[in-house]
Amino acid sequence: MPSVTFEHVTKRFGEATVIEDFDLQVADGELLVLVGGSGSGKSTILRMLAGLETVTSGRIRIDNRDVTDLAPRDRDVAMVFQDYGLYPHMTVRENLSLGLRLRKIPRHEIDRRVAWAAGVLGLEPLLDRRPKALSGGQRQRVAMGRAMVREPKVFLFDEPLSNLDAGLRAQMRIEIGGLQHRLKTTTVYVTHDQVEAMTLGDRIVVLAEGRIQQIGRPIELYLSPVNRFVAGFIGTPSMNFLVGRLEEHGEKVFTTDGGRVQLAGKKLSTTTVGSPVTLGIRPEDLRIVLGTESAHHDGMLIGQVVLVERLGGTSHVHFEVGPHRMMASVSTDALPNVGETINVRVPAERVHVFGADGKALA
Amino acid sequence: MRAEQKSGTLMAAPYAVFLLVFAVYPILFALALVFMQWDLVTTPAFAGTDNIRLLMNDGRFWRAVANTFVFLSIHVPLQIVTALALALALNRQLVGRSFWRAAFFLPVVISGAVVAILWSNLYATDVGLINRLLVKIGLAPVPWLTDPRTAMPAIAVMVTWKNVGFYVIIYLAGLQYIPQSCKEAIEIEGASAWQRFRFLTLPSLLPQTILVVTLSTINGFQLFIEPYVMTGGGPLRRTYTVVLYLYNNAFAYQKMGYAATIGVALALIIGIVVFTQRRLLGKAEAL
Amino acid sequence: MLLRRIALYTGLGVAAITFIYPFLWMASSTFKPPVEFGSLALIPDNPTLDNYRTMWARAPFGRALMNSVFVATTITLAVLVFGSLTAYAMARLNFRGRPALNAATIAVLMVPGQLTLIPLYTLIVQIGWIDTYAALIVPYLFNATAILMLRQFFLQIPQSLIDSARMDGMSEPRILFTIFWPLSKPVLSIVAIFTFMGAWNEVLWPLLVVREQSVMTLPQLLTVFALGGGAGTVGVLLASAMVLVVPVVIAYAFLQRNFIESMAGSGIKG
Repeated sequence: MPSVTFEHVTKRFGEATVIEDFDLQVADGELLVLVGGSGSGKSTILRMLAGLETVTSGRIRIDNRDVTDLAPRDRDVAMVFQDYGLYPHMTVRENLSLGLRLRKIPRHEIDRRVAWAAGVLGLEPLLDRRPKALSGGQRQRVAMGRAMVREPKVFLFDEPLSNLDAGLRAQMRIEIGGLQHRLKTTTVYVTHDQVEAMTLGDRIVVLAEGRIQQIGRPIELYLSPVNRFVAGFIGTPSMNFLVGRLEEHGEKVFTTDGGRVQLAGKKLSTTTVGSPVTLGIRPEDLRIVLGTESAHHDGMLIGQVVLVERLGGTSHVHFEVGPHRMMASVSTDALPNVGETINVRVPAERVHVFGADGKALA
Repeated sequence: MRAEQKSGTLMAAPYAVFLLVFAVYPILFALALVFMQWDLVTTPAFAGTDNIRLLMNDGRFWRAVANTFVFLSIHVPLQIVTALALALALNRQLVGRSFWRAAFFLPVVISGAVVAILWSNLYATDVGLINRLLVKIGLAPVPWLTDPRTAMPAIAVMVTWKNVGFYVIIYLAGLQYIPQSCKEAIEIEGASAWQRFRFLTLPSLLPQTILVVTLSTINGFQLFIEPYVMTGGGPLRRTYTVVLYLYNNAFAYQKMGYAATIGVALALIIGIVVFTQRRLLGKAEAL
Repeated sequence: MLLRRIALYTGLGVAAITFIYPFLWMASSTFKPPVEFGSLALIPDNPTLDNYRTMWARAPFGRALMNSVFVATTITLAVLVFGSLTAYAMARLNFRGRPALNAATIAVLMVPGQLTLIPLYTLIVQIGWIDTYAALIVPYLFNATAILMLRQFFLQIPQSLIDSARMDGMSEPRILFTIFWPLSKPVLSIVAIFTFMGAWNEVLWPLLVVREQSVMTLPQLLTVFALGGGAGTVGVLLASAMVLVVPVVIAYAFLQRNFIESMAGSGIKG
């Protein structure tokens, strides 16, 4: 039985339709990430699940119970906010326990839960402090603790790591992931950061303009994006895109100003031949061959290096193929120099082809 | 830098002179006057601690101080409750919000003398609007300003009415500072409307409440025009205020030394009361 | 949900009525003949201007109105100009004694006016300024709250503007009035409003230093009129109150936002 269900949920703000016909099922115990840019609707969806926004049409169910018309307090969910939402005039202990006190849970049970959460999150020495005496990371933990003690059906996270610096974010990511695994509580997690999505999510929902672009496990989205948006959104550094056409020379070939790429073994319908398409290839899938043997028929592109970014073990080589600017992510062992001409091998099995409408063709 | 110094000194000098003449000198002279007797006509005479001793035993003065406490005991709680209630009501999406806000703030900008005269007539026992309304709904008219038991409370209600708009603005500003996420968090945690108010809104507004208490208290000790116009200090001196007494001593009785003593005593009393209030309330803030 | 909205607006409506109705009642009473006075109706059966005519004849309200306008305007202008000069010096010019002046200004705000009332009064008497405009105006030429507010604002104006102006050879006052003032419209209007309103409504000080009716300010004359029984009827008395109130209400109707910002802001500081 799915833990959370969205059925044909639509949300309108006045004239503007922000979410259209949204369907989703979240499995019990799953950590589902909603990821997208600003305006994609991800926060709105989360807030509708929390009950902080009304649903224009459609139903939302938690554990098969229709909660669409219920107030937030009756839904048995707990939320972690981007700015944590800690009560400034209460101590950490009071912050953690307020929800339980409001529900008249017996004192000894409150103490037990608070002690447990404080233990798990390392908050014991902070229990008598006020939020303003805590660091960002500590406040974040208190916010999570507050959600944990409620032992709710669903955890909701609204960009909880956005206000932390990069190092802390990486660390907290791991902690949140580990925690969720231990607690096995269904979690819906909203972020704009695709790295967070990829590392945390059991499944990821990529959103743009209120519509689902793709749902799937991280590796699925990485290997088989269904459209150009998802392909460009998932994966760091982001995918290279070349606009060109398909030709047939025995096997299908992608041509563009400056080069052609063999697409051996790719199943594309004959109707796509001649039409404009976009080729996508990830920087980490490109191989640079030094030397100037022109070898078009090997599916190589010829490019001129314009910039080399040395990042340590890996480096980014920026090069131009005709009018196109591309980037390859390669090991630092054998790097070309700026101005050099290079051959770039584009492995056909890693290539993505997108039609004029953005949808993946193969 | 020299030029800057010169300009600075020149530009600030008039103010410095003004402060000396109209602030420093009066404060020092007030303290000096405490020890003098002077009717403005004859030369001032040294009076030692006479004024102080007289003041300590002056029934009228302490009556006035007691009256002020009666006033404050009604005015301050009433002010907090009314201003807070109105601010909560106004703190939402409302049609014509600036109209409502303007309506409540109107009496703040009106002269105290006008408000006093207006309410004298509203409170008038026979033809006053309030009693006429009471009679209309079947209740007996109340001699608001002539009954010693109701006179000061009546003034307290009027002053609350006059100033509430000002405190509504203060509370409204405070309400803006409550983070949206806190409001949403407490809702998700299961708070009813009353619990939200008790555990989040009210504690968050403690600084504003302290401000309301302090300003209303200072205002209460400075009451003058209201009793002056409405009751002259009666009935039975129940609305006699310290500033009224000060004024009478200066203007009517021509006792400058004694009037100055009252002024200094008032400043001290205000200082002590406000300090104590802040201490007690400040403790609440730290809790 | 809808029920709550209705209850809210009803509650607000009732509250708003208690705040506005008394003024409406006051206004309508001024147009009622004595026989109708006290009736609950807002529109008089026989409207009359008699009350106003009587009031105008019995006491120099026209004169008092002009006095109030003159005094309040002069004080406001002085506070704005002198206050700006002082605040500018305190904010942007380094001179010896600046910290002391600052401390003194804040200290002055902590002392209740009643303490200095008598000495100021005796000072006025001794200089011989009783019954003069000087007595009404001079003690208010500088306003500590205004100076602090202006100073606070002036601190935020970028130094580069001053530096380039100085290099162009501008004198400091010139810099203040040609560069700072245009940038300071919000704070200047706030100061103008609360200073003007304070001066317009001030009544205790005039009651002390002015006895001569021709020099009295409007609220003062109104008070004297009310207590002296010169009004005779309530209608006449309220008519005199109207003269004081109507200009303020009209200004308020147009500028209520500025009024609220100004008086609330100054109150919190003071």
